[in-house]
Amino acid sequence: MKRLELGYVNIKDVQFADKSEVRDGVLYVNQEEIKAIVMEDETIKNVSFDIARPGESVRITPVKDVIEPRVKVEGPGGVFPGMLCKPETVGSGRTHVLRGCAVVTAGKIVGFQEGIIDMTGPGAKYTPFSKLNNFVMVIEPVDGLKQHEYEHAVRMAGFKVAAKLGELAKELTPDEVKVFETPNVKEGIEMYPNLPRVAYVQMLQSQGLLHDTYVYGVDAKRSLSSMIFPTETMDCAIVSGNCVSACDKNTTYHHQNNPVVADLFEQHGKTLNFVGVIITNENVYLADKQRSSDWAAKLAELLGVDGVIVSQEGFGNPDTDLIMNCVKIEKKGIKTTIITDEYAGQDGKSQSLADADPLATAVVTGGNANEVITLPKMDKVIGTLDYVDKIAGGHAGSLAADGTITAELQVITGATNELGFNCLSAR
Amino acid sequence: MVKAIEKAGFPVVHICTVTPISMTVGANRIVPAVAIPHPLGDPNWDLEEERAIRRSLLKKAFHALTTEVEDQTIFED
Repeated sequence: MKRLELGYVNIKDVQFADKSEVRDGVLYVNQEEIKAIVMEDETIKNVSFDIARPGESVRITPVKDVIEPRVKVEGPGGVFPGMLCKPETVGSGRTHVLRGCAVVTAGKIVGFQEGIIDMTGPGAKYTPFSKLNNFVMVIEPVDGLKQHEYEHAVRMAGFKVAAKLGELAKELTPDEVKVFETPNVKEGIEMYPNLPRVAYVQMLQSQGLLHDTYVYGVDAKRSLSSMIFPTETMDCAIVSGNCVSACDKNTTYHHQNNPVVADLFEQHGKTLNFVGVIITNENVYLADKQRSSDWAAKLAELLGVDGVIVSQEGFGNPDTDLIMNCVKIEKKGIKTTIITDEYAGQDGKSQSLADADPLATAVVTGGNANEVITLPKMDKVIGTLDYVDKIAGGHAGSLAADGTITAELQVITGATNELGFNCLSAR
Repeated sequence: MVKAIEKAGFPVVHICTVTPISMTVGANRIVPAVAIPHPLGDPNWDLEEERAIRRSLLKKAFHALTTEVEDQTIFED
């Protein structure tokens, strides 16, 4: 039995202060202390900090990642295993979470593949991160730094700062404690003999060229499909290294708070037996796609599950990985539901996915990423608007002279998330 | 594009990496490419070897172009 307690410390505000601490639900941050941690990396030229709160007239862009501060309180390993500490197996014992805040990293790494977070107005409704108190770090690289080195620097800086802020909650008494338990296969069958056994197949973005996800520090494109306890993901075992379209990339925050995992745990022991998580990748060679989907189906077969939920990340050629996973698992006699999003054109009339199959009979959508929205000017911009016209989903002229942005939903971080971490859908 | 050109009466070979998508969209002659970011080359090899890869792919495509097909066909070899 794998058992993890998550202790939530509610954060209602973030403020700069002389001393870093969490007191009465407020996260106080000493900028100099955090700056010293970020500047340990010699590839970083400068970092600036800002705070964006729900309801403020603030636009953050270009957003790279969003990370929730967490800390390991009891049990083996530490948060961000394989990235910040040894790749020791996590997911048991106790972890504290600073709930209601996040570290947001920003910088013009790729330019067209970062996103926008609006803290108020119509754009705020589309991103879950408008509801958090965000500690934003805009990171500038040293001159001549290559894109992939810049991505690495920003990624690691985000994790280090999130872990540092998480430490502040180590000794605190949480506002709420939730317990998550995963029995092993034998125990599960004995405990819930009459419940359908369900696994979750999580597809990880791994197309390379800065479209990467890491599991215990391992680049997912260099790994075969594998299995992981769902509580390991809560201890930050899976992290984002992605620069892809903002709307449907899984930020590290999404992995930490995976809603598919949350909902399956919610139903665990009641309507179903949540057996575990199969992680698989989305590589750019056809042979890899075939091998990885074969492997995901094989693991589902080996577990002897009755049903599988498959979630996708990104769009385009990963649609093929999605359909391969779905078809191969269905052909094992296991029912599947797939979670995706759509690129159905601005009028919604085009084919939604690049691939399809009659066996894909149960589909949940996170919305149409091509839908056009208008985002009014915000009083303050954290980062820069220089890339709004080039961002995926934007076009020349997206940014009007009056500061209004007209673009596709694609530009908003998390808008059509394929884990269902958003409000959009379709019927 | 593949379908539009064929409609105009010209046979077309679709060289692409993700052949299942090519099948879904209805191409008739499909030649598998190297990888999505580099369909006609492979940076893992040196330039001379890449030239050989490219030549071999093109020869395969010409062969496909001049082969009668009854149904959607992937030219693996």
